[in-house]
Amino acid sequence: MTELLKVENLRTYFETERGTVKSVDGISFEVRKGEIFGLVGESGSGKSITGFSLIGLLDANGKVQPGSSIKLAGREIVGLPDQELRRIRGREIAMVFQDPMMTLNPVLKIVDQIAMAIRAHEKASDQEVRRRAVEALARVRIVEPEKKIDQYPHQFSGGMRQRVAIAIALLHKPKLVIADEPTTALDVSVQADILKEMKALVAELGVSMIWISHDLATVSQISQRIAVMRRGEIVETGTVAEVLGQPQHPYTQGLLDALPSRARPGELLASATTESSGPIVLDDLAKTAPKAADGAFVQVDDVDMVFERAVGRVGRFTQKFGIGQPSHAVHAVKGAKLTIAQGEVLGLVGESGSGKSTLGRIICGIYTPTAGNVTVGGRKVREGQRKLGTGVQMIFQDPYASLDPRRTIFQSVADGPLAHGLTTRRDARAYVNRWLKAVAFDPALADRYPHQFSGGQRQRIAIARALAMQPELIVCDEPVASLDVSIQAQVINLLIELRRTLNLTLLFISHDLSVVRHLCDRVVVMHHGKIVEEANVAQLFEAPQQPYTKMLLDAVPKLAV
Amino acid sequence: MTSFVFKRLSQAVIVLIVMSILVFTGVYVIGNPVDVLISPDATQAIREQVIAEYGLDQPLWKQYLDFVGSMSTGDFGRSFVFNMPVGELISQRLPATLELAVIAVLLASLIGVPLGIYAGYRPNSLASRIIMAGSILGFSVPTFWIGLMLIMLFAVQFGVLPAGGRGQTASLFGIPFSFLTLDGWKHLLLPVLNLSLFKMSMMCRLAAAGTREVMTTDAIKFARAAGIPERTILRKHVLKLISIPLVTVFGLELGSTLAFALVTETIFNWPGLGKLIIDSIASLDRPVMVAYLMMVSVLFVVINLSVDLAYAALDPRLRLKGR
Repeated sequence: MTELLKVENLRTYFETERGTVKSVDGISFEVRKGEIFGLVGESGSGKSITGFSLIGLLDANGKVQPGSSIKLAGREIVGLPDQELRRIRGREIAMVFQDPMMTLNPVLKIVDQIAMAIRAHEKASDQEVRRRAVEALARVRIVEPEKKIDQYPHQFSGGMRQRVAIAIALLHKPKLVIADEPTTALDVSVQADILKEMKALVAELGVSMIWISHDLATVSQISQRIAVMRRGEIVETGTVAEVLGQPQHPYTQGLLDALPSRARPGELLASATTESSGPIVLDDLAKTAPKAADGAFVQVDDVDMVFERAVGRVGRFTQKFGIGQPSHAVHAVKGAKLTIAQGEVLGLVGESGSGKSTLGRIICGIYTPTAGNVTVGGRKVREGQRKLGTGVQMIFQDPYASLDPRRTIFQSVADGPLAHGLTTRRDARAYVNRWLKAVAFDPALADRYPHQFSGGQRQRIAIARALAMQPELIVCDEPVASLDVSIQAQVINLLIELRRTLNLTLLFISHDLSVVRHLCDRVVVMHHGKIVEEANVAQLFEAPQQPYTKMLLDAVPKLAV
Repeated sequence: MTSFVFKRLSQAVIVLIVMSILVFTGVYVIGNPVDVLISPDATQAIREQVIAEYGLDQPLWKQYLDFVGSMSTGDFGRSFVFNMPVGELISQRLPATLELAVIAVLLASLIGVPLGIYAGYRPNSLASRIIMAGSILGFSVPTFWIGLMLIMLFAVQFGVLPAGGRGQTASLFGIPFSFLTLDGWKHLLLPVLNLSLFKMSMMCRLAAAGTREVMTTDAIKFARAAGIPERTILRKHVLKLISIPLVTVFGLELGSTLAFALVTETIFNWPGLGKLIIDSIASLDRPVMVAYLMMVSVLFVVINLSVDLAYAALDPRLRLKGR
């Protein structure tokens, strides 16, 4: 196989107010014709910046440094004028991004977006454009393409939007496609389909691809050779079997060890970074912990949740007379029944739209169910109930969004306990510090603001904030989904240790089956608002009873070594 | 969509009823027009005759009902001062204000939006800095002062443009308009410029802020990655993505210019509605004030409804929700 892309000593620096950031610092690799090359690393490793450097789309303050070389089919593209680069983009090098919800313009029809991409490089009549748009959508297996091209992106599901983005990238049969986390935002079953299709398309069209991802499993599935990046450098490169089978570099080894799927359930995960982990839970906290008990601590009985679009009085009037269309209700949860014992960790899994988050919020009392009952510790959960405010706490997926950027860590953690009289203004400092220590967060940093911390640290703060309310139940909604593997491992470890010492009762909502397997005692699977299966973790993973559960388990990408 | 329009129209009716009560009682409190209308040395008999003629001897609620009754048949009453039907009076003045306001707002959009998009696209260039600084000047310097300066400069100093009036008009559908003649354009230029500077600055800053935000999104990055030329990206992607706040402001400004162009109209002696309302307030010409304010309410209701419909046309996601 001949090489298509040769990158030598690529350095991309960003000029910021705090000095030069060397995002990519002297990397070299080559991609062969028809090959899928995996570029793996955690956030901040420079893998995405590498992709943007190749296609010449860096932000204004970023620059590929002199001395770097990127040769595409023998032609040097570093230093080409903007006009030349534009002609290469889309025609010779194309790119697909992570979030299919964001990459397509929401106010333009699909056909118009495809038309612009076609006309960027060649003249074509409207008929010709339509014909090719239909052809492009058919190629990425979108059904009824003739009808679909006249729709808008919001009428498409996430997976379909990513297919459209791929179709646009492949329009001019480019030599190289750069795919930046193309399946990360998708459900596992959709992800599995797209992985398969991308592999087939690459083979069919003979293009080469760079697959950028933090997910070792998907990369190992799709690529032939991979490079592992860390802090702007490539630490290891080779075939998938070489790099993931016998990793030479400790960082690669660390990444592999941090994967929950490779550890025995319930054990602490090896952490790939040196950041201190493992909580220092104080003895007096452990003493107050409730004893584990059998029987249902949390009970959810036949809960139904129907979201109706508010129609208002006039809307109802017009509906009655058949002027307006009937409003469509969304039946998010249908007849859900589950129990959680004290001290138990229950996993709630399902794909997006399955109703798992809605059910979690109903248990928290954020939503009032349309029908059915929820009791926690024998008390009925009602919306906006003050007392329950301390009894059930929630940890959200995105630690960037769930902490108020204008309040210090101390303020954020102290607010709840102060409002509920769990501590006094005078004792608040000591009270907050105790809980910060419990999540291995240095209390000396408590007067700083959230933006000064990394995602993992923020999630610790969010956990401390939940714990400080001394809840009987914590609902965790995808708490590790937006974190890097090594940080994810730390947070999982933290939850495991806290659970042991404080005997926490957790409802753990996740789409990531390997994390659920690692952390939970029992699992409930939801599909289209219904609970389809409930079993102990070991039982569920070894002998799933329902076809949907089987499909989910099969779709999970596994390390191909 | 039907139920949406229906809902908005029924809201509009409520707004108009509330407005009519507010306007009517408000105007009633301002002062008694009889004092202005009748010379102080008129006899008591003549006084009472005039009062009865205008129906001013009736209780307020009766006057209100009469007023609503005649309004609904399209009769806005007679002006006390001009002694002619108010409807006729307003429709005489409306075209002057209409052309002034529409041209000013169009000019503001056609110049302000492209300048703003440029400033948002290249925020660090010298031209952008000048545009942004100029726009701050544009909406912080008072309108009347700029108006006076324009007259000083172009009418007094250079003597190239007239200082006031409508100039020669030509009629379209029987309505006189200035923008149909060259002389009319000369007269229009200064007041239009005066009126549009503030709006232009606002449109420009809105467009600049929107463009800066949109340029960093993945949608634009993806369009660039497909090799789409920058010009096409700005024209097709950016313009449509930033259009919703622009349309909102366009609508609001059009309404407020039509209704409240009076500073500019006064300075440039423009025979439009602004002057009419000021004159009628001074002479306590009740029917004109009431009819004018009602017309303004209707105007805003109509503009807001069209803006809402424009949202749906611009953003397909709102079409589903607006059903």
